[in-house]
Amino acid sequence: MEHSESKPLEQELSRLIVQTLKLKIDPATIQPDAALFGDGLGLDSIDALELSLAISQTYGYQLKSSDPDIKAIFSSLRALANAIVKNRTK
Amino acid sequence: MHDTPLIGPYSPDDVLALEPDGSRTARQFVSDVVRLAESLPNRLTVINLATSRYEFLVGFAAAILRRQLTLLPQSRAVQTLRRIAGDYPESYALTDRDDAIDGIESVAMQQRQGLAPWPNEIPLVPLNQVVAIAFTSGSTGQPMPNKKTWGALTAVAHATGSRLGIKSGDRASVVATVPHQHMFGLEASVMLPIMHGLVMHAGRPLFPADILSALADVEGRRILVTTPLHLRACMTEGVRMPPVGLILSATAPLSQGLAQEAERHFHTEVHEIFGFAEAGSVAERQTTAGDSWRPLDGVRLQSSERGWTVETDYLPAPVLVPDRITVDAQGLFVVHGREADQINVAGHRVSLGDLNQKLLEVEGVQDGVFFLPEEGSDFVTRLMAFVVAPGKTSEEIQRALRTHIDPVFLPRPLVCVPSLPRNATGKLPQESVRELARQWLAGLGHGT
Repeated sequence: MEHSESKPLEQELSRLIVQTLKLKIDPATIQPDAALFGDGLGLDSIDALELSLAISQTYGYQLKSSDPDIKAIFSSLRALANAIVKNRTK
Repeated sequence: MHDTPLIGPYSPDDVLALEPDGSRTARQFVSDVVRLAESLPNRLTVINLATSRYEFLVGFAAAILRRQLTLLPQSRAVQTLRRIAGDYPESYALTDRDDAIDGIESVAMQQRQGLAPWPNEIPLVPLNQVVAIAFTSGSTGQPMPNKKTWGALTAVAHATGSRLGIKSGDRASVVATVPHQHMFGLEASVMLPIMHGLVMHAGRPLFPADILSALADVEGRRILVTTPLHLRACMTEGVRMPPVGLILSATAPLSQGLAQEAERHFHTEVHEIFGFAEAGSVAERQTTAGDSWRPLDGVRLQSSERGWTVETDYLPAPVLVPDRITVDAQGLFVVHGREADQINVAGHRVSLGDLNQKLLEVEGVQDGVFFLPEEGSDFVTRLMAFVVAPGKTSEEIQRALRTHIDPVFLPRPLVCVPSLPRNATGKLPQESVRELARQWLAGLGHGT
């Protein structure tokens, strides 16, 4: 159920990432399983903070570093989209 | 030159730091430092990569007792660390997690068992001992070392504390969002608390929800050491924060608007620190009270042929202020902007000319220029770059750049263009680049 919902959300989220962080890439080229930080898109902690604000405003989900799954959540577009499905309040 | 104690007024059982698993007393701290100092390798320099602010402090203090210099890299980027380790071949890395850096000897800080007895006297450190080196981007692009003596770090901590009305032993707690390896972080989140007998929160909260829980963790008067970026994030989220006694911000100028909002939101005063790696913190202001900066006690501004310099008893020579300032009759000053070529991203200063040079060195790049769009949103403004590189993609150039420049300066976006608007003499007027950026940003969001 979650999985089938996350597909359009992945696309929506990749657009949000590209817009929020002003990346010069086509949102459709972000691979759902590729790393967002480090070697993947090369995002850093300032990006994480800006992205977290956009996610909070769009989906009403406040990210926390103390979440034991935080590394997994930020590991890829798919993982982030799944976390939003589970935690969104709007 | 005399010697001063490693920590300020703590009784043995006073809490010095707060880790996720509980508190660390001054007794525990001194024991941890003595134990670690015994086990450090016999080297001259150490790159302290500890993620916990407390473990960083233990490593820093142990290195001081062993007369080792702590190197403070501008970032944790592997390339940066390797370059510094190459420049200081007597280095090793000190880590508190399983994050050894390939090619650099790493020493993991072990859980220390038991307690060494409280010494008759807190270890003393000579004021003229060089204890740290902070790196800045030099004009050649090579990291420039700035030596920090124990006397400089303690003098800044005391001057900052007295300016902010922090009393020794008032047991306030410091929560900081800034990295402890950054000069301002070292001064305000490490040296300031330990010289005044305060409690240091060991974490480095990032998201507003993290800042909230870190503030909730600590007792007594709360001091939040942070940046405009984190303050803006807290305002945007609108998280209700526990009462804060004082906010100290640095690394980028805070706008009047955000400062007013933050003072209302946190029911407290927001003070800013002005400083730079070469001199450390040099002045303070309450942002809502006006634009003028008041030099910290002991800091003298002098006019010289090269521009304004900072002089203090603890700096070996006058240091040039990297910004354009005007100084009034009372010695207060206003900052008008950076010297032409200097830019600052998230508290890291660099020369645009150097970045452009690095860009042109990338294989396949025929022409290129970095540009910093207008600032002022209290968010970190990233650099953009326009590049002429036929046959290369933006991603390829980014990847090549990533190994040569600090990640914080990587352009967002890097736009490939057929040519740059150079004028007849081959110069690239700033206004033309600004217009290029304006056009590109206006088109953003309407497809890529």
